[in-house]
Amino acid sequence: MMQKILLAIDRWSTRIGQWCAWSIVALTALICWEVFSRYAFNNPHPWVMDVSNMLYGFLFMMAGAYTLAKNGHVRGDVLYSFFQPRTQAGFDLALYILFFIPGVVALCYAGWDFFSVSYAQQERSSISADGPPIYPFKLVIPLAGIMLLLQGLVEIVRCIQCLRDGEWPSREEDVEEVDVDKLKEMVSGEAKAGQL
Amino acid sequence: MKLRRELWFGLIIMAMLVLPTIIFMPWSAMTTGHYGLLMLALVVVAIMLGFPTAFTLMGMGMIFAFVAYYGVKGEFKVAVSHTLDLMVQRTFGVMTNDVLISIPLFVFMGYLVERANLIEKLFKSLHLALARVPGALAVATLITCAVFATATGIVGAVVTLMGLLALPAMLRAGYSMKLAAGAITAGGCLGILIPPSVMLIVYGATAGVSVVKLYAGAFFPGIMLALLYVAYVIIVAKLKPELAPPLSAEDRIVKLTPVAAKVAHATGATNSVSGLMSALKGASNVGVATGDILKALGIALLPLLVGFAFLFGMHRYATAPDEVIDSGGLQEMGAASNVISAPSSTGGLAEPLKELGGLQEPPKELGGLQEPPKELSAPPSASSAEYPSTAAPVEDSAAKTATKTPPAAARLATPSWFWWLAGVVGAGLAVLYRLLSWGRLEIFKMLLGSFFPLAVLIIAVLGTIVFGLATPTEAAAVGSLGGLLLAFAYKQLNMRVVRESVYLTAKTSAMVCWLFVGSSIFSAAFALLGGQDLIEKWVLSLGLTSTQFLILSQFIIFVLGWPLEWTEIIVIFMPIFIPLLAKFNIDPLFFGLLVALNLQTAFLSPPVAMAAFYLKGVAPPHVTLNQIFAGMVPFMIIQIIALILLYIFPAIGLWLPSVLYK
Repeated sequence: MMQKILLAIDRWSTRIGQWCAWSIVALTALICWEVFSRYAFNNPHPWVMDVSNMLYGFLFMMAGAYTLAKNGHVRGDVLYSFFQPRTQAGFDLALYILFFIPGVVALCYAGWDFFSVSYAQQERSSISADGPPIYPFKLVIPLAGIMLLLQGLVEIVRCIQCLRDGEWPSREEDVEEVDVDKLKEMVSGEAKAGQL
Repeated sequence: MKLRRELWFGLIIMAMLVLPTIIFMPWSAMTTGHYGLLMLALVVVAIMLGFPTAFTLMGMGMIFAFVAYYGVKGEFKVAVSHTLDLMVQRTFGVMTNDVLISIPLFVFMGYLVERANLIEKLFKSLHLALARVPGALAVATLITCAVFATATGIVGAVVTLMGLLALPAMLRAGYSMKLAAGAITAGGCLGILIPPSVMLIVYGATAGVSVVKLYAGAFFPGIMLALLYVAYVIIVAKLKPELAPPLSAEDRIVKLTPVAAKVAHATGATNSVSGLMSALKGASNVGVATGDILKALGIALLPLLVGFAFLFGMHRYATAPDEVIDSGGLQEMGAASNVISAPSSTGGLAEPLKELGGLQEPPKELGGLQEPPKELSAPPSASSAEYPSTAAPVEDSAAKTATKTPPAAARLATPSWFWWLAGVVGAGLAVLYRLLSWGRLEIFKMLLGSFFPLAVLIIAVLGTIVFGLATPTEAAAVGSLGGLLLAFAYKQLNMRVVRESVYLTAKTSAMVCWLFVGSSIFSAAFALLGGQDLIEKWVLSLGLTSTQFLILSQFIIFVLGWPLEWTEIIVIFMPIFIPLLAKFNIDPLFFGLLVALNLQTAFLSPPVAMAAFYLKGVAPPHVTLNQIFAGMVPFMIIQIIALILLYIFPAIGLWLPSVLYK
C-alpha cells in the first residue's frame, strides 16, 4: 500500500517534470525563430525576451521534483558513497527534516504570497515595454514548491524504509546521463555498421 | 578494508574543517559575523554528509537569515516575513537570470550532439590521420576527447565512450595502462574548460563577469592545456617507446572504397587527384560511373575551394574601406568575420552536412567544381606534379581579378602581407595535393564526415558569441538546432533520442539552477550575518600582496577540489572570493580563467575524481582504480604547470578579450 502511494507520487512528479521538460524545445525554437526574424528580416520582437525567460524558469523549477525523484540533485560524494545504506538513510532523514522541509515549506508559503500580490495588481513584466503578464510565472514558485514538498515526503518515507530494511527501496528507471549499456550499444552498433 | 580508508580520508578532511572552527571561534564573544563563519563550516560538513547540496544551502540559508534578522530587531514576526521575502526574491532572481538561461540550451545542444554518435568515426579517422605521430593512439584519444567534450560538455559520457573505444585499442597496441587511462580521463575533462562550457556560465553568473569575455579568454588557455597534454604524450612516446609503441603496419592500412580502389588499380596513379582526373578522361571511365568519380574528385578538391574562399575573404577584409576600421573594435571584427564566413552559424553548419549528402548524391555545388579541374587537365601532360603548381597561379589571378573590380567605395590597395598569405596558402595546397595519395584521400573523407562537422559547430557557436554577433543564449539555441541537424544528418534522429535529450536536459538544468537557488539564498544570509565582512577584515589584516593572495586563493580552491565538485566550489565559495578581488586589484576575468583551469584538477583528484570512476566502470576487470589514479597524476601536474604558465603570462587568456572588446 505504502509502496503504491510512493510510486504514484514518484510517477506524478516524473510525469509533470517530463511534460514541462519539453519547454526546452519551445525555448530553442522560439529563440531560433527570433534570431532568424531579427537578422534576416530585421524584425525583432521585444516580448521574446520575456517569454524565453519564463520558459527557462518554468523548465528548471518544474523539473526540480522530477530531479529529486530520480536522485539527480548533486550530492557531496566524498563520504556518502562509502557509507552503509542505513547510515546514508539516517543522515538523509535528519537533513530532510532539518533543512529540506522547513526550506521548501517556507518557499511555498512565500511564493504563494508573492503570487497573490502580483495577481492582485495584474502585474506585467517590466523587462520590455508593455510586457506580457508576469503573475502566472510567479505562480510557478508555489507550484514547484508543493511538488518538491510531496516528493520530499516520499523521500523521507524511503529513508525510513531503508532504515528498517537496510537497503534502499527501488526507484523507477529513467534515462541516465551515463548509461553504460546504451553507450556500449552505440559503440558496438557503429562497429557493425562500419564493417558492412 | 578499502572502504574504511576512504571513510577515514573524508572524516579527516571534515575534522580539519570542524576542529579549527571550534577552537578558534570566540565562543564567549560571538558576533553575527562569527555565526556566518560557523554557518560556512556547517554547510561544508552537511555537503560532505551527502545531502543534496541545493537543499542544504537553502535550508541553512533560511535558518541563518532568520537568525540575522532576528538578531537585528528581536521581533519574531518581522524576522520571519523578512526571511520569506528574501527567499522568494532570490528564487525569482534565479528564475529571471538572463545569464543562466543559456545553460539548458547548451546542455540540450550537448546531449543532441552526443547522440549524433560521431565519436567512433572521429577517433578512427584521427588515429589514422595521426598514424605517423609518436603515441598516435594517445594523441588521437586526446584530440577526440577535446573536440567531442567541447561540443557536448558531458564529461561522464565522453570518458565512458572513450573507455569503451580507445582503451581497448590502446591496450591492444601495447600502450601502458597508466598512460592510456590518463589520456582518456584528462582529455574528457577538457570539455569543461574549453568554451562553450557550462562551468564558465556558472562562474559568470556568480561573479558578475561577462560570459562573452570569459569565453574569449578561456579559449587559448584551453587550447594550451590540450597542446600540453599532446606534447607530454609525444615526448613520453619518443623517450620511452615501450609505453606507447608505434602502430603496426597493418593498423595503418586505410581501407579504400570500391570506387577509389578500382580507379587506383585501373590508372596506376599513386596520387588520387591525377588518378581521378585520368580516369575521367578515359572513354570508358575505367568501368566506374562518372558521377562517382566526380564525387570523389569534388571531395578531393574541397581544400582548394576552401583555400580560395579564405583568400578571397581575407582580400575583402584587407582592402575594406578605411572608415569601417575606425568604428569600434567589436563591430569591425564582427563585420570581418561576416565576410570571411559568409554563411551564418547555421549556414556554416549546414554546409559540411551538404557535403556529406554529396557522398550519396552529387549536389549541385559540386557541379561548379568540375569546371576548373577539366580545364586544368586539358593539357595532355597534366601530371600530378604539375597540377599543384598550376593551382597557386589560378588563385593568384583570381585574387587579382578581385582587386581589379573593386566596388566603387574606394577599396584599399592590396597590402603586401596578403600576397605572402596567398603564397603560403598556395604552397600549402601544393604540398597537400602532392601528398594526397589514395589512402590520404580516404582519411580526408573520414575527417570530413566526423571532425569537420563538430569543429564547424563549435567554431560557429563560439565565433558568433566571441565576435559579438549573437548573445550566448542565441548562439546556444542555434547550436541546439545545429545539434538536431547533426543527429539528423547521421540518421540518429528519432523521437526516442529527442525525448531522452529533453528529459536529461531538464534534469541537468534543474540540478544546476536549483543549486543556484540554494546558493543565492545562502550567500545572502552569509552577507547579512556579516561573515563576508569578517573574512574581508581577516584577509586584509594578513597584509598579503596581491600575488600572495592569488596563490593562497588558488591553493584553497585546489584543496577544495578534492572533496567537492566544481559546481559547489563555484556557487558557494566564489561569492566569498569575488568581493576580495577588488581589494587586491585582481581582474575577476583573469581570476575566473585561473579558477576554470584550476577546477580541471577537481575532476582528476581522488577520492571524488568522477572521471576515474566513469573509466573504471567500463575498463577491463584487471584495471584497478589505483592504476587509473596513478595515470592521472602526470596530467594533474600538467594542469598545475598550465595554471602557472597562465599566471606568469596572463596574455594567454587576456589577449583575445582585450583585442576584441577594447
